Amino acid sequence: MAQVVLKDLVKTYGSVYAAKDVSLTVNDGEFVALVGPSGCGKTTTLNLVAGLIPITSGDIVIGDRVVNDLDPKDRDIAMVFQNYALYPQKTVFQNLAFPLQMRKLPKAEIEAKVREAARVLDITHLLERRPRELSGGQQQRVALGRALVRDPAVFLMDEPLSNLDAKLRVQMRSEIKRFHQDLKATIIYVTHDQLEAVTMADKMAVMNGGLLQQYDSPANVFANPVNMFVASFIGSPAMSLVPLEVGSVDGHTVLKSAEGWTLPLSERNARKVATASSRKVVLGARHSTINLHKTQVDGTVPAKVYTVEPTGDITFVQAFLAGSIVNISLPPTVHVAPDEMVWLEFDQDRIHLFDGETEMALRAD
Amino acid sequence: MSSVGNAVTRRGRKGVDGWRWAGRIFLLIMVLYTALPMAWMLLTSIKSGFAATQFPPQWWPSEPTLASYQKLLDPQNSVGQDFLRFFWNSFFVSTVTTALAVAVAVPAAYAFSRFRFPGRQFLFFSVLLRNMFPAVIFLVPLFILMRWLGLVNTHGSLILTYLTFGLPLAIWLLKGFYDNIPVQLEQAARIDGATRFQAFLLIVMPLSVPGIIATAIYSFIGAWNEYIYAATFLTKNDQLTLPVGIQRFFSENTTDFPGLMAASFLMSVPVVVLFLVLQKYFVRALTEGAVKH
Repeated sequence: MAQVVLKDLVKTYGSVYAAKDVSLTVNDGEFVALVGPSGCGKTTTLNLVAGLIPITSGDIVIGDRVVNDLDPKDRDIAMVFQNYALYPQKTVFQNLAFPLQMRKLPKAEIEAKVREAARVLDITHLLERRPRELSGGQQQRVALGRALVRDPAVFLMDEPLSNLDAKLRVQMRSEIKRFHQDLKATIIYVTHDQLEAVTMADKMAVMNGGLLQQYDSPANVFANPVNMFVASFIGSPAMSLVPLEVGSVDGHTVLKSAEGWTLPLSERNARKVATASSRKVVLGARHSTINLHKTQVDGTVPAKVYTVEPTGDITFVQAFLAGSIVNISLPPTVHVAPDEMVWLEFDQDRIHLFDGETEMALRAD
Repeated sequence: MSSVGNAVTRRGRKGVDGWRWAGRIFLLIMVLYTALPMAWMLLTSIKSGFAATQFPPQWWPSEPTLASYQKLLDPQNSVGQDFLRFFWNSFFVSTVTTALAVAVAVPAAYAFSRFRFPGRQFLFFSVLLRNMFPAVIFLVPLFILMRWLGLVNTHGSLILTYLTFGLPLAIWLLKGFYDNIPVQLEQAARIDGATRFQAFLLIVMPLSVPGIIATAIYSFIGAWNEYIYAATFLTKNDQLTLPVGIQRFFSENTTDFPGLMAASFLMSVPVVVLFLVLQKYFVRALTEGAVKH
């Protein structure tokens, strides 16, 4: 196993940046998730590390070698593809043996390693079958097995679970996590599913538009998103973002809506909005930090219920606040109806404030 | 409610059945249309010369005979010697054409399918340019070219000529096959330790076997049946190919119809055998199970 360092990695197609100045360090044995919406550059970044596409500029270091110009076969990597890419003319055994044969290992050693990998993944009974005779989950395991049959410096995984059905995906998710813990493997894992990233990864790299937005532990990304994109992408349901204006009432800093209500800010939050580049500030709050009141209470703001979605143990409510949709979670014992007027209370210690112009998070210090 | 639903379904099914029967009848007509001339060819080839030209025709030969076949396949008499030589000439020209077409088309089609290079689109459509015109248009230019190359009256002239129209279509056909092989298979192979060439040789080539066979058969048949260039470029009797050689059964006064039909039948044998031997490669969907969509 080895660490992977990306330095100012750039990939352009004509004048379009697929990846722009991506710099990050994946420590030895770390599980890093590259996460972002479609076309954000995460798969491009992975393919750059794999050597499947040439880099435009920057450096890729695996272990202590700069691998910029090395062929994929010389980078000491293994990769699991989204569509598995199993060799259809080969049996499962031959699929697993292929990377070892290419490295000219003796036959007995190949046999032993393939059997061991098959045992770990519980696919020993499938070794003589061909890929078309396997279920989706079994194909997935074979793809994983072909990666782990030799000990590469890094595992690259390109949305390995996205073609599985929901139940199998949850099961394989914990298996891959377990696999990472047992092998202390360095893994770079691409996914568009922020839940996968949050649940599996040691660190997540949130990408958008070819740019690395934030690189931190899932807990930190969740708690302190650096900008509005990260805030709205991580977490489910998404963080609610309400554009408001800064004002002042009796010398106290408040947020004003176009409808006329004001929301007083705590002293710490007032210092944050003082750093904003204009009067436009966006209020962000996660569903679990918003309290819903049926009657007006001090410090609450009026909203109108839009939809109510009971899920069993939590009821999700969407409400209109100052023209924006706000997500709120309620215990199932509280009943609200669509179009009902409600009052929302925000937890001053847990709200997020963003600059309305730059979309960056506002900091108090 | 359910009865209404059933009624609708039943009427719908009847409509489908009507179309299905129409389709079957159409197919039956097409089968007869293609099979009857061949049956008549076979029947005529085992008649005597007199019976073949009788009117009203003998539907079934009263005295079936294999004399025509014996004559054609007998190396002792002059007709048999000629026929066997023509047969060999055709086989040689078609096989060499096919081998060259496949050898060039496989890497070319792979390059068109996988690589992005300047002029790719232009080149790809320009390979079809030759096939946009009827063969006759190129007859004189190619004849002049062949004379300049000193290839007139050699089989080389035919092989080169057949390649000019066989190769573009072979490239075009094969590119379609390569396009259908997921690029991730090669990427996986390259990560698993193969060079780009090994990935092509070990992973892609075996999967493109049906495509290569289809292309080879197409190319072979094209060369096997070609008449007009063969009739123009070759004049020496011992070099003629079958389509031209069979002409010799026509003469000013009499035409040996049983002999002509027997020769036609023998000419169709290699193509049919080729199909029968290779057809099992067509029915297998080789890339099934490679990727999950």
